[in-house]
Amino acid sequence: MTDAREELRLRIRDEHPPLAAAAVIRGGPDSLALLQAHARRLNRLYKLDDAPVFGVSVFVVRDDLGPASERSILAAKLRSYPTVYRTTVGRLVAHGFDVLPTFTVPHFTVLIQSLDAVAELASAFGKRLINPYADGRGERL
Amino acid sequence: MTHIDIAADLNSEDETGLVWTFLDEATDPSIIKPGEFVVAGSPLTPAVCEVVDLVEKPAGTIVHLRVLPGTIEQFRRLLSRVGT
Repeated sequence: MTDAREELRLRIRDEHPPLAAAAVIRGGPDSLALLQAHARRLNRLYKLDDAPVFGVSVFVVRDDLGPASERSILAAKLRSYPTVYRTTVGRLVAHGFDVLPTFTVPHFTVLIQSLDAVAELASAFGKRLINPYADGRGERL
Repeated sequence: MTHIDIAADLNSEDETGLVWTFLDEATDPSIIKPGEFVVAGSPLTPAVCEVVDLVEKPAGTIVHLRVLPGTIEQFRRLLSRVGT
């Protein structure tokens, strides 16, 4: 039987890995059920090295200015999110997660071993923070 | 709670740089057409999005979405002002 999924490896960018201190940002709030749903969606469309893969999308800050800057990520990519999670590449790695540069800058995919790992992922993401650049921010204050 | 037309992770982009999800995650797939405005995301994180295109893939039909500026509340107020 043919696997209908596409190879995620072909969507990984060839670039230097981000520093451990690089900020990782994801719009929220999330719940464990939502994280699992998102990881399942990736699993449905992609495989990695011909094996099943689960993962969750994040953005990684690579520059001080431009599209991969923290401000641009918060004000453009995540403008619809009034709150975000902010952690670091090093913290995710310390929790056992791989962080792959996938698709277009500054998008990354955090790989999770199984759907049960979303609780650990949520722990690594930490607390939600206010997105100061979110749409309608003024009316929410 | 806000009604969601199509479930999506608005953090998830593919090679197009657009948000993607599966058409069969829409509550009513018939309204998911290029150029239409829909509410996408989750009940916790809804956003008004433009349907950019639909792409047939072996794993299912992919919907590409462009997140529009503004909150659901801002769109509600706009519709309230302009009437029907």
